[in-house]
Amino acid sequence: MQRLLNIIRFFKEYFVLGLLVIISLLLLSSNNNRQVRAIRSFTVGFVGAIQQALSVVPNVLELKNENAVLRQLNVNLSDEVSRLRDARLENLRLRTMLGLKERSPFHVLAADVVAKNLYLLRNTITLNVGEADGVKPDMPIISESGLVGKVITTSSHYAVGQLMFNRDFRASAKVLRSGVDGIIGWNGEDIVHLRNVGKKQDVQRGDIVVTSEYSNLFPRGIRIGVVSGTSEKPGSLLKDIEITPAANFTTLEQVFVVLVNPDPERVSLEQKTLSR
Amino acid sequence: MRHIFKYSFISFLLIVLQATIMHLVTLEEITPDILAIWVVYLALSEGQLHATIWGFAIGLCFDLVTGNFIGLSALTKTMTGFVAGYFFNETRTRLTLGSYRFLLIVLLASLIQNTAYFIIFTRGTDIGLFQAVVRFGLTTTLYTGTLSLIPIFKFSRQSLM
Repeated sequence: MQRLLNIIRFFKEYFVLGLLVIISLLLLSSNNNRQVRAIRSFTVGFVGAIQQALSVVPNVLELKNENAVLRQLNVNLSDEVSRLRDARLENLRLRTMLGLKERSPFHVLAADVVAKNLYLLRNTITLNVGEADGVKPDMPIISESGLVGKVITTSSHYAVGQLMFNRDFRASAKVLRSGVDGIIGWNGEDIVHLRNVGKKQDVQRGDIVVTSEYSNLFPRGIRIGVVSGTSEKPGSLLKDIEITPAANFTTLEQVFVVLVNPDPERVSLEQKTLSR
Repeated sequence: MRHIFKYSFISFLLIVLQATIMHLVTLEEITPDILAIWVVYLALSEGQLHATIWGFAIGLCFDLVTGNFIGLSALTKTMTGFVAGYFFNETRTRLTLGSYRFLLIVLLASLIQNTAYFIIFTRGTDIGLFQAVVRFGLTTTLYTGTLSLIPIFKFSRQSLM
């Protein structure tokens, strides 16, 4: 402090000059005549020119802050883009499903797939609809592409569905073009097989396969898939027909439960006949 | 303290004189600045610090009396006192006041004062910087320098006696 006072004392003339000049300039700036306006105008232009010249020199601190803000903005926008993309895909999927629902002659109930089990011989999915929604065991499950499987167990608000890719799954099916029928079953591959078809039956690669009217569980005409290959085993009377399912089980997110019940009279009669 | 009253009184008289009478000796729009001579005198008599403060006070009073451009004379007279104060020598004050050195100091301080004054005063007009400095600044300086011969004669005669 003493040192500062000494410095001020030593340079007192300059300090006084500076102070008085500042006071004079403040007094000058309080005028509003043409001279002061001209000087203000010149000063603004001069300072602007200097600022423009200095603007080429990057302000590191400002750039750092700006960079941080832009990075945060980038993260936010990326997140938003991702969510919008998901929403768009969901929208497209739901639109397709809505179209199916409108076209479908059956009463269907939309459901979300809340769990999947695709790594076993008995693959299943869990749906967020249950008995409270009118879902019962053996009801077919379909997607916008085609048959998915059927309900095997239910609780109040959930249902477990058996996929076509399940060793226990069976469905009566027919080739749409020729009317050749058989039974759909799965052997653990990425395809299903149409069984019980004679060697001389007319089945060709590319034929569409749908559920047949012989089924007690599935309404007729639900698309199952397309014939992707046929082969004959020596010594066998039957053909081996490979069918690529229409539904993609790995990307299933929304499905429909077809609200149909098997005709009890028919079931009763068929069971009675079989028991004889 | 006695000096303050004396200097204040003389300053007041000279401010009134500069504001009222001096336009009578105006030549081609050029008026001599007796206040600048007075501030140089104060600088050589009292030193740089006092002259700077006196210059500011006299200039501000002149601005307030004329109401012309508040702060401009205060600024330029402060500069005059400060510049002239560099030539303060306590032991040679009388000699300096009565010799050509006084004229040279008046010319130098006045030139700086008038240059600053007219550069600012002529802004916003058609008068350019060069014209402001030469046409007004330099001529006013020369006219003021001419007037400063009066105190030189006075002090040179005193020193002779």
